[in-house]
Amino acid sequence: MESMIHDMAERLFRDHVSHGLRADAAAGQCPETLWTRIEEAGLHMALVPEKAGGFGVPAAEALGLVRIAGAHGLPLPLAETLIANAVLAGAGLALPRGRLTIAEGVALRLERRGGALHTSGHMAMVPFARWADRIVTIAALDGVDHVLSLPVKDLTVTPAQDLAGMPRDDVAVDLALTDADAAPAHRSMGGMRGLGALVRSLATAGALETILRMSVEYANDRVQFGRPIGKFQSIQQYLATLAGETAAARAAAEMAAGSYDTAAFALTVAAAKSRSGEAAQTVGALAHQIHGAIGYTEEHALHHFTKRIWSWQDEFGTELDWNRELGRAALSSPHDTFWHFITDSTAQGVLT
Amino acid sequence: MTLTAFPPPPSGADHNDLRQEVRAFLAEELSDFPPEKRAKSWNGFSRDFSRKLAQRGWVGMTFPEEYGGHARSALERYVVSEELLAAGAPVIAHWIADRQSGPLILAKGTEEQKRAIVPRIAAGELCFCIGMSEPDSGSDLAATRTVATEVEGGFRVNGTKVWTTYAHVADYMILFCRTGKSDDRHGGMSQLLVDLKATKNIQISPIIDMAGEHHFNQVIFDDTFLPSDALLGEKGEGWSQVMSELAFERSGPERFLSSFALIEELIRLLRQDATEAQQAEIGRLSAHLMVLRQMSRSVAGMLNEGKNPALQAAIVKDLGALFEQDIPRLARSLISRPAVPGGRDSYAAVLAYTELAVPSFSLRGGTREILRGIIARGLGLR
Repeated sequence: MESMIHDMAERLFRDHVSHGLRADAAAGQCPETLWTRIEEAGLHMALVPEKAGGFGVPAAEALGLVRIAGAHGLPLPLAETLIANAVLAGAGLALPRGRLTIAEGVALRLERRGGALHTSGHMAMVPFARWADRIVTIAALDGVDHVLSLPVKDLTVTPAQDLAGMPRDDVAVDLALTDADAAPAHRSMGGMRGLGALVRSLATAGALETILRMSVEYANDRVQFGRPIGKFQSIQQYLATLAGETAAARAAAEMAAGSYDTAAFALTVAAAKSRSGEAAQTVGALAHQIHGAIGYTEEHALHHFTKRIWSWQDEFGTELDWNRELGRAALSSPHDTFWHFITDSTAQGVLT
Repeated sequence: MTLTAFPPPPSGADHNDLRQEVRAFLAEELSDFPPEKRAKSWNGFSRDFSRKLAQRGWVGMTFPEEYGGHARSALERYVVSEELLAAGAPVIAHWIADRQSGPLILAKGTEEQKRAIVPRIAAGELCFCIGMSEPDSGSDLAATRTVATEVEGGFRVNGTKVWTTYAHVADYMILFCRTGKSDDRHGGMSQLLVDLKATKNIQISPIIDMAGEHHFNQVIFDDTFLPSDALLGEKGEGWSQVMSELAFERSGPERFLSSFALIEELIRLLRQDATEAQQAEIGRLSAHLMVLRQMSRSVAGMLNEGKNPALQAAIVKDLGALFEQDIPRLARSLISRPAVPGGRDSYAAVLAYTELAVPSFSLRGGTREILRGIIARGLGLR
């Protein structure tokens, strides 16, 4: 697909996301300058509908930015800010400047105290919370999903990180909300969990493509027994498997991205998170096998990508969670046959 | 990396009206077709069924109307194909002709060949088989020894083909053979159209498979005379013609739906009462199936645009074979019920049939190792 914003992102990340930048970020340093460039390019607004101030890029194309960011191991909450802005715009809330992040709000208590809304509770593993200005989440009030925009300065953030050293902080919330910071969600695409699963699937697909490319290059360059190791059939078989899994992860993630804002999203995102997570395990293992000992060092870039894909497997619903959800839907579907469930699962309908 | 990009199938690819028509037809035609017969998947043979399907316009769908086809898109054909496979309909009598022989004749054949043969394929009347493998030429197709020597008025053919599916009932074979010498291993090959019913000196004998079934045959050409107009396409261009057939052969839904009867049986039994662990396994299976279908439909979309997605097709076939071969293991991990060949319990009978069928899935249409070699080279290995 030809895409101007994809080209722009590709250039920006290629020029500025280096091994050193990823290592510094893992050591706790937020790449502020790079974020400024991302904002200047407007990438963080790509998923916002045109009428809410976006620039009218189709959703699937805007979400493609997440795959590209994943392919570069971008250590910034671009995916999170894209989703947060889209969700805020959907609920008619103001779009704040700065870095945003998203979190599941199922464990949050949302209630009316006097005339005002109040929220309290705890959110675990919030991506990039300490680098973000606001956390956007969805919590229920009397059974109705509400979008909440929580200023990080008013929350208690306890740093923690994922396998790749990226901030995944614990956040304690006890906060009165104004009308500017809370509104009913205009529709439900499965809460923040589904949207988070979507962006992690896309990022995984991108990272897998990078891992595949690195593995092919290494197999061409590394000489043992007098020839490049890519000449050996066992290595070729590994690489072919790696390519198949990578292709499946991307097809899965793009299937879900293609059904963004449709009724098919609930099932396609389950399939995407499950399939991309499974691919992450297979590809990670084979890529390290192909790279040998050098790929197991801190010095080599491979670990920035394998650690990310393994971390993303556990976020916004594990494979086991999504598999159960999809399996329950398949086994309880009113369809006559499993086949009818499969064909309907990807049929695009309007979300009501 | 374009190899790992599968563009989404075009919008409107669902063709829901067509799908419902096919479902209604299958519900009627196969109302008393039992699961153990559906388990044969696309290896089920019924000329009667193929003719009825053709009467509905669902054979030769993509062929031009002037050759008896219906000028429909590859995606509409895809909808019909996947519905047939999911129902376990007996389709082999027309399947190979519809999938690859017909398109090959349309692409490379002479006007006479097209007029003589393609309309009869579209009518569901012709069964084709593929004469590629030989005793000493399995994965290594370039080792083909069968020779067609030019003689007055045609060719004299000598050699042996094996694993020729349904040659014992087929009307035509597309024979891959040597027609000349070449320094290039891939040179000097041609494809010949063999009328199996009208040609003398062809000996066809069964090769029974390990499941006790007769699909395979050995076909011996013994000074067999074929007329000049049997040549299909350019003399010496057989290799590239065969390679372009393969994208059609490798990417379709038959590459991941061969075990579907067992999946339906499994789900029927789990529907009543499933543990969380069983639900999760069915979820994983569903995810794989949804994604394979997406990839396979993507390839159909690329074929429809006239592209040659040979590498993507190899990926679909490799992933698809892994998936469909894993179903007996999965079934056993979820339900404790022994396989019984021909048993009265349909789950047990379908498990038994499928168990014995799955080893062939990563052999036919290019072995796993060959496909992976193709994929690896496509990745840019030097």
